[in-house]
Parts: sequence; C-alpha cells; structure tokens
Amino acid sequence: MSTVTVAKKDFKAARRSKLLWAAAIVLGLIAAFVGYVSGGASGTDAEQVRALFRVLTLLLAVLLPIVALVASYLAIAGEREGGGIKFLLSLPNTRRSVFVGKLLSRNGIVAGGVAFMYVAAISVALARHGAFPAGVIFGTLLVTLVYGSTFVSIALAMSSAAASRSRAIAGAFGTYFVLVILYVFPVVSFGDIARWLHTTLLGADPNPDLYNAVQYTSPYLAYRKAVNLVMPADMRQLVFTSSLPEDISYGSARANEVLPLYLQDEFSVVVLAFWLVVPLLIGYALFERADLE
Amino acid sequence: MPSIQTNGLTKTFGEDVVAVDSLDLTIEEGEIFGFLGPNGAGKSTTINMLLDFIRPTDGSAQVFGMDTQSECAAIRERIGVLPEGYGFDDYLTGREYMEWAVETKDADDDPEQLLDLVGIRDDADRVASGYSKGMQQRLAFGMALADDPDLLVLDEPSTGLDPNGIQHMRSVIRDRAKEGTTVFFSSHILSEVEAVCDRVGVMNEGELVAIDSIEGLRESASGQATIELECAEPPRADGVADIPGVSAVDVADRTLTAECSDPSAKVDVVKRVDQRAEVVDILADNTSLEELFNQFTGGGRDGDGSVGEGIDLEDSQEASA
Repeated sequence: MSTVTVAKKDFKAARRSKLLWAAAIVLGLIAAFVGYVSGGASGTDAEQVRALFRVLTLLLAVLLPIVALVASYLAIAGEREGGGIKFLLSLPNTRRSVFVGKLLSRNGIVAGGVAFMYVAAISVALARHGAFPAGVIFGTLLVTLVYGSTFVSIALAMSSAAASRSRAIAGAFGTYFVLVILYVFPVVSFGDIARWLHTTLLGADPNPDLYNAVQYTSPYLAYRKAVNLVMPADMRQLVFTSSLPEDISYGSARANEVLPLYLQDEFSVVVLAFWLVVPLLIGYALFERADLE
Repeated sequence: MPSIQTNGLTKTFGEDVVAVDSLDLTIEEGEIFGFLGPNGAGKSTTINMLLDFIRPTDGSAQVFGMDTQSECAAIRERIGVLPEGYGFDDYLTGREYMEWAVETKDADDDPEQLLDLVGIRDDADRVASGYSKGMQQRLAFGMALADDPDLLVLDEPSTGLDPNGIQHMRSVIRDRAKEGTTVFFSSHILSEVEAVCDRVGVMNEGELVAIDSIEGLRESASGQATIELECAEPPRADGVADIPGVSAVDVADRTLTAECSDPSAKVDVVKRVDQRAEVVDILADNTSLEELFNQFTGGGRDGDGSVGEGIDLEDSQEASA
C-alpha cells in the first residue's frame, strides 16, 4: 500500500523534528499546569477531574487549531517548494496516495500532541484526586481528536491550494484568524455581520436564531458544543444565550432541548463533519489538477 | 510497442508561453535517447508531462502504450526517474531514502548494493539534505535504478557530478541499456549525449528541430573546421585563402587562423604556411557538436545558416541560470 508507505516516511521524518518534540512537551506542560491550578473548586474528586478536563477543552479549543495548522500547513506546499514531491510522484505513488498518506501522518502527529496533553492531565488528576471519570476523559479525547482533524483537513486544503511556503503560511494564519480569533475576541463576529445585513440592509425584524446559526458554522464553536455532548448536564457550556427563551434558566437541563435543532449541541457533529470532509475534497481536487513543477 | 510516444503533445503556460509545441516523438524499446536543447527549450516540460507532474494543454503521451494521465500509477511501477528540481528535505539519511524507494517500488533490491553502485555507501548514514549536490545526484540516480525499471527517465543526470561520477554514471546507463532498459535522458551537455546515446532529439523553443543519430546529425551539418597556426615570426597570409576549401583567413600577430568549409583543406593550409614561416604550434578544431547544436538552435534563428553565429552553449547556460 503506497499510501501507508507515504505516511510512514512522512511520520518518520516528523518524529525527528526537534520543533515538534518541543511543541509536544510544551503542550504536556500546559496540560499539567492546568491540572495543577484547576483543583481548587469544591466537589467530589471525580467532579474536580471533570472540571479539569472541561478547562482543558477550553484551552484546546484555542490551542489545538494552532498545533494542527502548524503541523500540516506545509504537508503539500513544502513538498512542492522543496522538491520532495518529485520523488514522491516518481515512485509508484499516485497523487491520491500522497494526499491521503499526508493526511494520515499529519493526523497522527496532531493526535500525538493531544496524547501528550492527556497523559499529562490524567497523571496530574490521578496524583491529586485519584479519580478517573472515564466517560468525560475519553469523550473529550474523542471530540478533541475530531476537532484537531478538522484543522488538519483545513490546513491540508490550504497546503494543496498554495504552490509555495509563503502562501501556505498566509493561508494558515488567515484560517486561524477567521475561524478562531474572531470567535475568541469578537471585534467583528459573523453573527453581527449577519444581524446588520438582516436588520439594516434587509430591514427585517431581529432573529437571534439566524445570527447564532451563522456563528455556529465555526469549528471552534462546534467543538465547544460537542464537548457538551460528553459532559454531565450541569457542566455544559451555554454558547447561544440569545436564543434561549426567557423562562429557561442558563443552568437548566432543558437549556439545550429548547433550542432549534440547528442550534443544539448535537448539531455540532454536522458542523465538524462538514469541516472534516469538505476542505479535504476541495484540497484533493486542487492537488489532483495542479501542475507540479 | 514504443517505450515512449507523444502525439501532438503541447503545453502552454498562461496566454502565450508555448513551452512545448505539438511534439511528436517515438522512442523505441531498448534505445538510449538523448534529449538535447538549451535551457528553456521545453525538455523538462516534456519530461514533466511524461511523468504526469504537469498536464498537457493538448495532445497526449503514452509510456509503454499507457496513457500518462489516466494510467500514471501503472507507468510509475515500471520506470525509474531521476527528476529535475528534486529536494531531499526530509530529515532522513541516504540509506533511509534508498530503503524508502525500494520499499515503495516493492523491489527485491538490496539498498546497500544500490548505495554501493552509486558510490555513497560510506555516507549512507548521513542525512541526505546535508549531502553535496553531486552526492544527492548519486543518491537520486540510485533510487531511480531500484527495481530494475524498463525505462529510465533521467533529467539532466550529470548535474553536479564530478568527472569520475559522470563516467561511472554513463557506464551504469550503458550496462542497464544492454540489459534491455530504455533510457531517455535530457541534457544540455553535448559531449555527454555524444558519449552515450544511440539517437538524439534536439529541442528548441518548444519544438523538435532535429532527430537523428549522432553520425546522422554530423553529416547533415555543414562541416566547418578551424585551424590555428602559431609561427615563429608573423606569417604571410597571401595565397592561403586561395586554397580550395578555405573560407576565411585571419592573421593576428604570429598566429594565422583559417576557417575551412572542407575539413581536409587543413592539411594544405599547414603545408602552405610551413613553406614560408616556421610553424611552432597547431590547434585544429573540427565541427563540434556544439556548433552543430548552435545551427539547430541559436544559429538557425539568425537566418543566414552560417555556423558559429549562434550563442555559445555554455555561455547561454550561465546567462540563463
């Protein structure tokens, strides 16, 4: 299987990158630090550990895209600019096996980084609280891996579209800004733009559900909502408060069900699946058609 | 079935850059074919289309009768490629690159043996990106040889190699050809093509301007030879120009230079000058392939058909590098 051979070689080379090891160790330290400082709240040991992993996911929501983008933005563009693609495609590999091999390998690298964080966080949790709430730990791990994969897909698409390193870097920066930064620091949010278009330009009555739906297209929010799926009801994060009827309190167990289907936590699966698959299809189509010189 | 066949193969970049213009080329099984031309003539573009790195704008190409685009995977199973513009930029040693090539080709070759064949076995544990250009070229050549391909496609194979390396590579190419491998290699170095190839195609500005054996090309060129005589005292030029076959005579200080349209006239020039002045040194230069090459490329464009008007090949390379 040439896909596997491509992935193996790519992973082997990546394993020797000191930068990646440094990044993995930093991630592990961050996770350990979060584990260390988050234990002050009241509650049982298991609750404290759950809280720890909830904080960890908040951090991962911002950090993991950086890790995935950095790990993947050169996957194709770097080979094209560096000339490695010439060997890859002179040997009995197809463009598909190169693309899929890169996808597997870069996902493996990102998963390795996540594993570092989880091992560190679990170690701290066990040492301090002696609790292992498997549902939350493995649940968030799964959701986190999917979240990381969406950004690997996006970065790989960017990498396929860019013919050079510099453009790939610009693409990765732009992606992070548009898909993450704008949600963390909403100087301009897509929801606000939608609201302005809807109310000012079209002169319609405000419809918070619509604006929240626009916001919900982001993998960042989808991840935070997807984490709710694996958290106990009382630990869920409310993301779309403006769509909540007034008689439902924030902490209510029904705070999710009363939302329209397309704003519920479950819908995050659809959003993540979109970001996982669509960029890959576009990226592959671009790579398949590109003139590689 | 020919090893390589192109039918009206055309590649244009943008609106008006025609890199390859309806190329029809057939390379038979077992031959060593030299693909010659100055930089930018369209050699690499052609090779890149054969390898499906880039897609033709028009026309098609087959390797072993298989379409280069739709059946590129099956083609890559049977060919060995020394590409142009490659890079060893992964953090892998020479041995690991070779092992990777052998593994990807699903070959029975012993990587050690291949490393030994191309002369880098002693450096096989070093990271390939740290190799000199010549060593990288050797490694890339070795990777192309893995799995004893039916067709070797070598794009400027001698780049960066020292003279020993070039000679060794030639002998390996000849050995492989003897065993039935078709060799297709591009070069702008004429002596290299002359030394190895059965047949030569000359590309210029995207078109195939000549295709023949080396001997055939020589015959088709208007023979022009130059002879330089250095004498003890300034020689007299009168009479020399009247010798049949001499087209031009020039005296500068103690050196007489005669250009002969008929190479056999050189002997008469020497005899004539020797009668009147003591000849201390002789420098003769037959029609070189370079001049021939200039006729087909640079010189031909000047339109007067004369030899030597075209740009010197080596100079033109440097200028465009």
